[in-house]
Amino acid sequence: MSGTDEAAIEVLARAAGLDQAWAEFREDVLAAARSVAAQRPALALVEPAAEPWPPMRVAGKP
Amino acid sequence: MSDLHWTSATDLGDALRTRAVSPVDLLAAQLERIGRLDPTLNAFIRLDAEGARAAARTAEREIAAGHWRGPLHGVPIGIKDIIDVAGLPTTCHSRVRLDNVAETDAAVVAQLRTAGAVIVGKLSTHEFALGGPSFDLPFPPARNPWNPTHHPGGSSSGSGAGLAAGLFPLALGTDTGGSIRNPASACGIVGLKPTYGLVSRRGVFPLAYTLDHVGPMARTVADATLLLSIIRGRDPKDPGSVASTDDIVPDTLARGVRGLRVGYVRHFHETDMPADAEVAAALDTVAAALVAEGAELRTVTLPDLNAFSSVNRVLLQSEAWAIHAPWLRSRPQDYGQLARRRLLAGAFQTAEDYILAQRRRTTMIDAVDAVFREVDVLLTASAMDPPCRIDDEPTLSRTYPRQARTPFNVTGHPALAMMSGLSADGLPLSVQFVGRYFDEATVLRTAAAWERIGGWQARRPPAFA
Repeated sequence: MSGTDEAAIEVLARAAGLDQAWAEFREDVLAAARSVAAQRPALALVEPAAEPWPPMRVAGKP
Repeated sequence: MSDLHWTSATDLGDALRTRAVSPVDLLAAQLERIGRLDPTLNAFIRLDAEGARAAARTAEREIAAGHWRGPLHGVPIGIKDIIDVAGLPTTCHSRVRLDNVAETDAAVVAQLRTAGAVIVGKLSTHEFALGGPSFDLPFPPARNPWNPTHHPGGSSSGSGAGLAAGLFPLALGTDTGGSIRNPASACGIVGLKPTYGLVSRRGVFPLAYTLDHVGPMARTVADATLLLSIIRGRDPKDPGSVASTDDIVPDTLARGVRGLRVGYVRHFHETDMPADAEVAAALDTVAAALVAEGAELRTVTLPDLNAFSSVNRVLLQSEAWAIHAPWLRSRPQDYGQLARRRLLAGAFQTAEDYILAQRRRTTMIDAVDAVFREVDVLLTASAMDPPCRIDDEPTLSRTYPRQARTPFNVTGHPALAMMSGLSADGLPLSVQFVGRYFDEATVLRTAAAWERIGGWQARRPPAFA
């Protein structure tokens, strides 16, 4: 998603159920979406298979 | 006793036990001070004078009858207003929750009541513990006693401001991205984010499930230790809660730092987010002082501070969205603008973002644990800048993210912020100590050593001294 693509942001906002926020607080929705788009590159994977899995464990066998 | 409002909770507890001080008289002194000073500071959202007087009378009767409950019996305490106190609204400083009266106490509040503490009221926060300082909310933001035109840090802002102004000797705060340690840094008090899971969060309005912590705030390290000893404990109804037997033995705080291996995380404030010169100089002063007391100082390297911040942001925004989405869809107008913007961001995080952040988190935990195989405690910056004016929105926006607290929300290690000095403008500077999981004892021991050496915790905001 382009951080400045207002039409794309509107589609995502409406898909998230934010029709009222889009109508009444469009600048806030745009600012929120653009801030996320700007941050996204910081977390890119380097080596998908080698990096650790997210945490999940079960309790020990009773 | 003179100056009851500056007396530590530890000393008040002794005086109450021996009946040198009456809980009713102590509360009356605090209420007088609150009534006189809080209109300037806005530390309280809701003062519960009537409930506090009833609790103080009960404490007086019980102590007189020989039923002393322990060192908090009769001691006043303030509660951040995202934590439930039965019979009082938990507003979260928001229009969204104005009429939300708690039916039961949060687990930590129940522990305080059992200990005989006197709950004086509910304290200002940022909206839902993330949107502030803001002027478009149903209550004004708290102010910094060191300079009331300045922000007191947040989101446990009323807790920090009230402690620094002598409105109560103890407070509870919560910390998801630094919200106990930020006001501790800005207001020159002591704030401890315990190990994730050590203190129950049942009855506390969540911000982000895997980052939220409840912890003690106080004016002295001994008082923070005392409060932690009351609120810690396994709670089967908090899914993050864990049992720990690593209690803090009574002489811990007096042991000093001789022989302790202190890892100095210089890159956080020297290269990752270059700190204000006064902040950096004060950190070097702390490091040198600990060495002079016999600690062994090693420079250590953790992942880049900006990477920690990115992970914290994705986790926080994603989890907070899961909590707030229904209200953001149906009543976005009831949020202040800051909270609305920050919470809406979660709608644009993807499953991929969240899972990547969790994977990064795992590597970060491993990296911090690896360093803890070489050292006993970490010394890092807390805030990179002294507090700024509360109405200076551009400076607030620039400086608020400039901090080194989020790494230990991401990893869950215990971390304490306290005063490292005063800026040329008379505003608190800060330092952070971080320990291994469940080793709050070493964090508090190091903080107690710096408290004795530095002497800063005894300083009072001049206008409120």
